[in-house]
Amino acid sequence: MTTPYDLIVIGGGIHGATVALLAARGGMRVCVIERDQICRGASGVNAGTLTMQMTRVALIPYALKAHAMWAAAPTWLGHDVGIVVCDGLSLAFTEGEEELLTFRAAKRREAGAPISIVSGQQAKVIEPGLSGDVRIAGWCKVDGYANAYLTGLAYRRALVEAGVVLLERTAARGIARCNGGYQVDTTGGSITGARLVIAGGVWIEPMLAWLGVTLPIKVLINQLSVTERTQPVMRTQVGVASGLLSLKQYAHGTVVIGGGWQGKGEREAGTNEIVPESVVGNIRLACHAIPALRGARLARSWTGFEAETADALPAAGPIPGFENAYVCGSVHSGYTSGPYIAKLLADRILGRAPEMPLFSIDRLLCGTVVGTSTSMGAVT
Amino acid sequence: MTASQDLIVIGAGPAGSSAALTAARHGLSVALIDDAMAVGGQVYRAPANGLDVPPSKRDADFHTGEDLRHALGQSNVDWKPGRMVWSVASGYTVSAVGPAGVEDYEAPRLIAATGAHERVVPFPGWTLPGVIGLAAATILLKSQGMIPGRRVVVAGCGPLLIAVTAKIVAAGGQVAAIVNLDGPSDWLRALPRMARRPRLLMRGAGWVLDIARARIPIYFRHSITEAQGSECIETIAIGPVDRWGAPTGSSSHLLDADMLVVGHGLVPGAEIPRLLGAKMVYESDRGGWIPAVDDVGRTSVMGLFAAGDGAGIRGAEPAALLGTLAGLAAARDAGRLGQGAYEKSTAAMRTQLASYQPFTNAVGDMMALRTRQVAAIGPSTVVCRCEDITRAGIDAAARDGALDVNQLKHFTRCGMGPCQGRMCGDVAGELLAQALGVPRAAVGYWTGRPPLRPIPLEDLIGTFTYGDLPIPKPAPL
Amino acid sequence: MPKVGAVRIAGFERGAPVTISVDGQIVKAQTGEMLAASLLAVGIYRLRSSPTAGTSRGAFCLMGVCQECLVRIDSQLRQACLTTVRDGLVVTLASHDRVTG
Repeated sequence: MTTPYDLIVIGGGIHGATVALLAARGGMRVCVIERDQICRGASGVNAGTLTMQMTRVALIPYALKAHAMWAAAPTWLGHDVGIVVCDGLSLAFTEGEEELLTFRAAKRREAGAPISIVSGQQAKVIEPGLSGDVRIAGWCKVDGYANAYLTGLAYRRALVEAGVVLLERTAARGIARCNGGYQVDTTGGSITGARLVIAGGVWIEPMLAWLGVTLPIKVLINQLSVTERTQPVMRTQVGVASGLLSLKQYAHGTVVIGGGWQGKGEREAGTNEIVPESVVGNIRLACHAIPALRGARLARSWTGFEAETADALPAAGPIPGFENAYVCGSVHSGYTSGPYIAKLLADRILGRAPEMPLFSIDRLLCGTVVGTSTSMGAVT
Repeated sequence: MTASQDLIVIGAGPAGSSAALTAARHGLSVALIDDAMAVGGQVYRAPANGLDVPPSKRDADFHTGEDLRHALGQSNVDWKPGRMVWSVASGYTVSAVGPAGVEDYEAPRLIAATGAHERVVPFPGWTLPGVIGLAAATILLKSQGMIPGRRVVVAGCGPLLIAVTAKIVAAGGQVAAIVNLDGPSDWLRALPRMARRPRLLMRGAGWVLDIARARIPIYFRHSITEAQGSECIETIAIGPVDRWGAPTGSSSHLLDADMLVVGHGLVPGAEIPRLLGAKMVYESDRGGWIPAVDDVGRTSVMGLFAAGDGAGIRGAEPAALLGTLAGLAAARDAGRLGQGAYEKSTAAMRTQLASYQPFTNAVGDMMALRTRQVAAIGPSTVVCRCEDITRAGIDAAARDGALDVNQLKHFTRCGMGPCQGRMCGDVAGELLAQALGVPRAAVGYWTGRPPLRPIPLEDLIGTFTYGDLPIPKPAPL
Repeated sequence: MPKVGAVRIAGFERGAPVTISVDGQIVKAQTGEMLAASLLAVGIYRLRSSPTAGTSRGAFCLMGVCQECLVRIDSQLRQACLTTVRDGLVVTLASHDRVTG
């Protein structure tokens, strides 16, 4: 029986790994429980987009800070995730999209994102690879991308260097309160810790259920495709007004196509697969935006889970009724904002005041009696 | 455009063709899909369009192929040549790109019969132009009526070594040397089992006699130590190996040839079962990772069968029998074959199959991955050809904490290139398992994802207008 | 004698003789042949370079699996082992193209 940890983190994706990393550097003895391997779930298979133009208005202030955090990854993470800061363009092809784009860009600008509207021709100067059919575009210099599949190795190295205990291929099966904190039952035995963070992505819902807390999580099945290496066809990060395209070309020549087109799958079984028409639709949209892409070959398409709360805002904060227990996830555009949201929570756990408000989950809970004295602790 | 059938068969080699013909004979509507323009797979590959094989050069494989193509032509099978299948979704929906654009096929039952591909255990210089596989050489011979160069070195292991050499000699080519991992005692040891299929053994004996008559130097218990050259192959260094395929000394001979033809066994093409989440098992003498199947080829996924070398390397004739079994099972599932008739027919097939077992096992032993040959791969030798990942890169990933081949892929890009891990997968997995000191199966297999092979985006998207795109409602603000 | 990677066996009747161009070089072949084989038959071994290390690459498996024989035809990448020769085929070797090296 080992000494209880200061902090147990369930879930080794970006949220869990960042909380663990920062808590360990803050002096805590931390254990991460991950049923697969670090950053192999959503964190390892997403498009790596770092953009304001697909970020919820309410999250823009966080995303701006998160973008700066990613750009400075060498200083706090210390290992390469292939961050590229570049211009981002969000395209409008129809009148309806022009209206949508203009409206959304204005809202995001109000929230602090430096997005300006440019004409199709101006957009083509910024991105020569662009289709001639673009009417207007939202242009933002605070944009770019990372290379998601590098996330795992980078975080693993940082976590190991910080002395975090990694229990990989170990699935959590239940949580109980115990003397001194929490006992997590896993496939590798029982782990106890004074503090607990649930960062299990789409599995936040069943994990909170172990504590009798009901937080409905909608499970999205996002599709992505990547081409083989191809000649340079673009140099910016490209999306569309509706938010349903992401497109970037990596230095080694491959182009990643995303945007949230849906595959099919099931959280309980842990299975997900592509829907062929959906992949073809996504790729058609990409080729419509960057015509030269047609000369490339599709190398791989895959799917991953994404968690979404009822109001599509993060679940990041204390778990009501459970002292020293927190949840972190469902950020919706989590790769962009994940590390910063996780940092805020880590600060809170370390007893420091977070720079910006967290996102308490009280608003999302079902089956708890609101307004009685038995419900939750302080709102963040 | 979506077409509906009782059964879809992907792969028109001996297994797939037999499966399709059998099912069609029992009244099922069957689509047989292949990217080639004629059935036969690789082993019974048709001569190229316009190539006329003179009667003296028509061997047993040629005739079997012609018979198969004839039988197909006489059948009700809906033959779909020139279609590259890129996705197989559960249910089943098969998405393909063909001469007329994208096509979808639907059926409640699917037989995956996608054959096998070459395995070459890496050696320095194996990526040089002028190094081709043993199976590649047979393709040149069968379908192009060409020998692989004026002067050829043939190397590796297994019966293909003999077959390729004999055919080159018969065609008037020169084989500078045979470089065989095995020794005469290994062949002799295999003889009793091979003798259980006398016709196949006699054919092999005929080849051996042709080779002896041609007085080709045979280097038993030798391997390629290096293929040398800058733009393409210039010289070939060979050296002695022990009985497990590991080098015992430095290069002993330097050979000169136009081409080096080399192969170390076959790897099952099991991508479709992997893609659909079928239970997989690692069987070394069947070539590596294969779907777990029952005796008629049923996988763990309902309605999905696997037959032929794609379900485990057994050779062409067993493949045809296994294809027939799968076809019979599909017919019974579809209610077109009564239980009694089904049991009678399958029992007959199984008896025939059993008679191949010893021969198949002898060949399987010869072609199985030799773990010590893999262990002897040098650190700077490229393993993943597409991404130039060396053995040292794989060992480093193991030290970095990669526990399975998919993590290896994320750490190094090994397996992310255009061949989708086909050329390197078996060897990379073995190297990772050795580095970690775990059983081979413990490092797993590549996660199956579409496309089954790289597809030009242009072919996939076809013609469309922006308005065609089913763009869902905008993301929340 | 310069090396060739393939030699047409005597006694076979073949498709009509045709000419194709490879990086501007005129190459004789026969209709219906596998492009990769026709190129080997005139001693064209190198088709491209590997993207990471820039090493010389050419046809390897001849059955559409290894992806080493990629060439450009009509600005699209095609595998030479899956391409049949026809008169007037214009082939650009992908070695000048970042795609494959």
